[in-house]
Amino acid sequence: MTTERFEGLSQRLLRAGIAPRHVKRLVAEIEAHFADLVAELRSAGLSQAESESQAAVRLGTEEVLIANILAHPELRSWARQRPWLAFVLLPLLALAVQFVLSMLAAVGVIVFSTQVLGITSLHPGPVPWVVRGLQAYGVWIAPVAAAGAACFLAVRSGAPIIWPIVGCTLVALLGAATNASFEWSPAGPRGVLSGGIGLHFPDLGLTSSLRTILTILTVLIPVLWLRRRRRELSSLP
Amino acid sequence: MSGIPELLVLRLLSRQEMYGYELARAIRESTRQAISLGEGVLYPALHAMESRGFVKTRRRTVSGRTRVYYAITSGGNRRLGELSGEWRRIAGGVRALLEGT
Repeated sequence: MTTERFEGLSQRLLRAGIAPRHVKRLVAEIEAHFADLVAELRSAGLSQAESESQAAVRLGTEEVLIANILAHPELRSWARQRPWLAFVLLPLLALAVQFVLSMLAAVGVIVFSTQVLGITSLHPGPVPWVVRGLQAYGVWIAPVAAAGAACFLAVRSGAPIIWPIVGCTLVALLGAATNASFEWSPAGPRGVLSGGIGLHFPDLGLTSSLRTILTILTVLIPVLWLRRRRRELSSLP
Repeated sequence: MSGIPELLVLRLLSRQEMYGYELARAIRESTRQAISLGEGVLYPALHAMESRGFVKTRRRTVSGRTRVYYAITSGGNRRLGELSGEWRRIAGGVRALLEGT
C-alpha cells in the first residue's frame, strides 16, 4: 500500500502513461528503500525528522524520480507506446467484432426460437423485438461502445487527445456506413429468414450523417469534459 | 556516461542477487563513493533492464518484509561484456590523453 508521501508520485506516473504494473512496483520499491535509508540513518544517531529529510535527498526529489522514470520509454503502458493500435485500430476491430456478434446473436435467436421453441413467424411473440434490439445494438450502440472505451482508456492513461479523436471519428464513419436487416417472412410453416449486412462507403445520406454525428458527440463531449476536469484537478496544489 | 548505472548494476549482480537498497549500498562502497547516484534512479534502470531481459526478479520475504531481488540473466552477462569493453576503451583513451602518450 502506498503511503501519503509517495501517493503523489504514483498518481503523476500513472498520468504520464507509465504502465500501472511498473508504477505499483516502482513506488513500492522506492518506499521500501526510503524506509531502509531512514532505519540506516536512525541507527547512525540521527533523529526521525533528520533521517527522513536526508533519506529524501538520497533518493532524489519527486521531479528527479519522475524525469528518470520517463526517460525509459519501455516502462510506458502498451497503449502509450502504440497509440495508433490502442486508440484507432483496436476500436475499429472492436466495432467489427461487436457488429458481427450482434448479427450472429440475432440469427441465433431466430433459429433457436423456431427449431427448439417451435415459434413461427405467424405467432412470433417477443422474438422480433429481441432481433430488432440486437440489430439496433450493432448499428447504433456498438460504435458508441467501441469509441467510448477507447476514449476512456486514452483519458485514463493521459494519452495525447489526437489519437482517440481520430479513432472515434473513424469508428463513427465506419459504424454509420454499416447496415443490417433481417426479414422473417411468414412463407412456409416456420417462416423464411432472410438477412443482409451492407457497407456503403462513403455514405453522405441523412441517417448515416446523423449516426456519425451522434457517435462523435456522445463520446467526445463527455471525454473532452472529463479530460479537462482531470487537468484542472491535477493542476491543483 | 549514460551506461554507467547499467554497467555498475550488471557487474554487481553478476556476483550475487540483490535488492535495490543493497545495490545502492554496494555501488557506494565498491566505487569508494566516487560515483553518487540519486538512489531512486536505480529502480527505473532496473525495470528497464528487466524489460530488455538483462535481469530477472523474484520476491523474497526477509524479516517480515517482501523484497524484490534482482539477478543477472545470460543476456545481461552478454550486455555486461559489451559495456565493460566499451568502458575500457573509453577509459584507455582518456588515460592515454592524460598521460600524453
